[in-house]
Amino acid sequence: MGIQKRKICMLGTFGVGKTSLVERFVNNRFSEKYLTTVGLTVSQKMMPPVQQEPNGIPIQHMFLIWDIAAIEKFDSMVSNYFRGASGALAVVDLTRPETADELATILDRFFAVCPEAVVVYIANKVDLISDPSKINSRFDQLSVNAASELIVTSAKTGAQVEDAFYLLSQQIETP
Amino acid sequence: MVDTLKILLDVNGFGRITFDQQLQVIEASLAVQKLLSQTIENTPTVAVTDIFPELIGVENQLLQIVAKQIPYYRLNLLNRTDENGQTRYLNLTILACSEEERAIIVIEDATAKAMDLQRTNQQRYDTFLYRSSLEHRRNQVGRAILGKSKAIQHIVDTIQQLGHVPTAKVLLTGETGTGKNLTARMIHESAMTYDAPFIEINCAAFPEQLLEAELFGHEKGAFTGAISTKPGLLEKADGGTLFLDEIGELPPSTQAKLLSTIESKTFRRLGSTTSYKVNVRIIAATNRDLTVEISKNRFREDLYYRLNVVSLHLPPLRELGEDIIMIAQQLVKTLNLQFKKSVKGFSSAARQALLSHHWPGNARELGNCIERAMIFIKNDVIDLPDLVIMSPVEPATSTDPRHWAVPDTGLDLDQVARSLILSALQQANNNKSKAAQLLGLTRHTLRYRMEKYDLN
Repeated sequence: MGIQKRKICMLGTFGVGKTSLVERFVNNRFSEKYLTTVGLTVSQKMMPPVQQEPNGIPIQHMFLIWDIAAIEKFDSMVSNYFRGASGALAVVDLTRPETADELATILDRFFAVCPEAVVVYIANKVDLISDPSKINSRFDQLSVNAASELIVTSAKTGAQVEDAFYLLSQQIETP
Repeated sequence: MVDTLKILLDVNGFGRITFDQQLQVIEASLAVQKLLSQTIENTPTVAVTDIFPELIGVENQLLQIVAKQIPYYRLNLLNRTDENGQTRYLNLTILACSEEERAIIVIEDATAKAMDLQRTNQQRYDTFLYRSSLEHRRNQVGRAILGKSKAIQHIVDTIQQLGHVPTAKVLLTGETGTGKNLTARMIHESAMTYDAPFIEINCAAFPEQLLEAELFGHEKGAFTGAISTKPGLLEKADGGTLFLDEIGELPPSTQAKLLSTIESKTFRRLGSTTSYKVNVRIIAATNRDLTVEISKNRFREDLYYRLNVVSLHLPPLRELGEDIIMIAQQLVKTLNLQFKKSVKGFSSAARQALLSHHWPGNARELGNCIERAMIFIKNDVIDLPDLVIMSPVEPATSTDPRHWAVPDTGLDLDQVARSLILSALQQANNNKSKAAQLLGLTRHTLRYRMEKYDLN
């Protein structure tokens, strides 16, 4: 079984919970304190093996997860942040519908640099929503062209966080 | 040339790592060990991607730099946390160098710059996130509802208390234009999460059957024209607030259905046998005295008591004293931005006129009056002639002692007369005979006074 290193970018505007999702996934920790990210932090996590097809050779990914600070100005530096990514987790904040619009702009830039990358969409902070069955329609449009449904997560409780990363690992290997 | 570059980098505290076309480390300067808090062996067994996993995925770019095909690649503000939990921020520049099949990674310590950036961003984002929080929205109640009078303070206090009880039904009473809609919104905002819907309906604006269909929704074919199933406003308001404005106009059959919904927390769409559960806060408002409506059998007593868990009476503008000026000043401030003017406020005569008027249309009438003045004003202070007060004059039997009373600071009778003539002309669409009639003057006298006040 081969181990493949894959670069994964966390995408989304400020305060959607990118760092908290990584922290929950990699270290199984959560902090209520909001600390803005500056620059980029790369975390590593070995993913469970995935099998491309029945009886196929399982592949195991080492995810290099790029937690990138909220990006307001798109320049060559941002392209460098994105370059070489195999996939991304695109994150919106369920309590702020406008984060869906901001994500769309970030994704346009991301796909311009990494057109082949696989993206899994995450709607985070479900713990703050009074009725999770009613999600703002602005989020529905997000996953229309995506590889998967919108995954509703909570970095605080850990709900569906691992599922999102695991799904990305599977999708990367799907031809 | 390369040596010069190395010397320059070393003396300025930059770290440098030279690597080859296998991306293996050839040489690392002493500064690298300090910047990365780790020992780097100068042997070709270590790959640059082992030292900087950030370079995984861009190996092709690195090889192109080694081959002198592209000049450089840069990554800013890489985070590195050492054993003591200290975070260092690094800028990386990967440069082609003059040696064959070699490139160099220049490492710059950018921690100070990053910390400054972090502080600035933290302040900005904290402020933004606080502004969108429930706590902030509760605090906003005091700012959205203007006034320092006891009556206004009572309203603000009540709304803030209601913010902690998001299920209590509220009955808002008060004359038209006293801000019932704004108050309902504030009650909603201070109690509900951001995503909770606020749905309002004016019960006077729909005929009986349409009102029922709007409120409860209908199934396809429930009545002529019901070409598809449509959920009602109650469903849309689920998890939030339903604001029933002019509840006094609700037809008796709809009153019964609403009562049943409030009691059972369920309802049925028109033409449906299925009951739907609903969790909604109901805020009702009326400018009628519902107890009188009950005595005349026009409003159900049981519904009244169901709705009237908390009642809040919104006082008319004329009872708010100096708050009128505060509200008017706020309107001027807003309209200055809208009309790109710089009006400072009101002359003392204008202030007295605002305080003396009866304001039967309340805030709505005040808003129109100030907006009219702001459209036509050429000076930077609104004076009495600029204020055209349009509401009907109260009959002489008015019991309000301030009506037509001379303010303590006195007034300019000519200005008042001029303003009244302007108002009469406006009401009469510039028909002088009608305007004269409104003022109890002959047409001849009106013309004389118009000349006197330069109104021709």
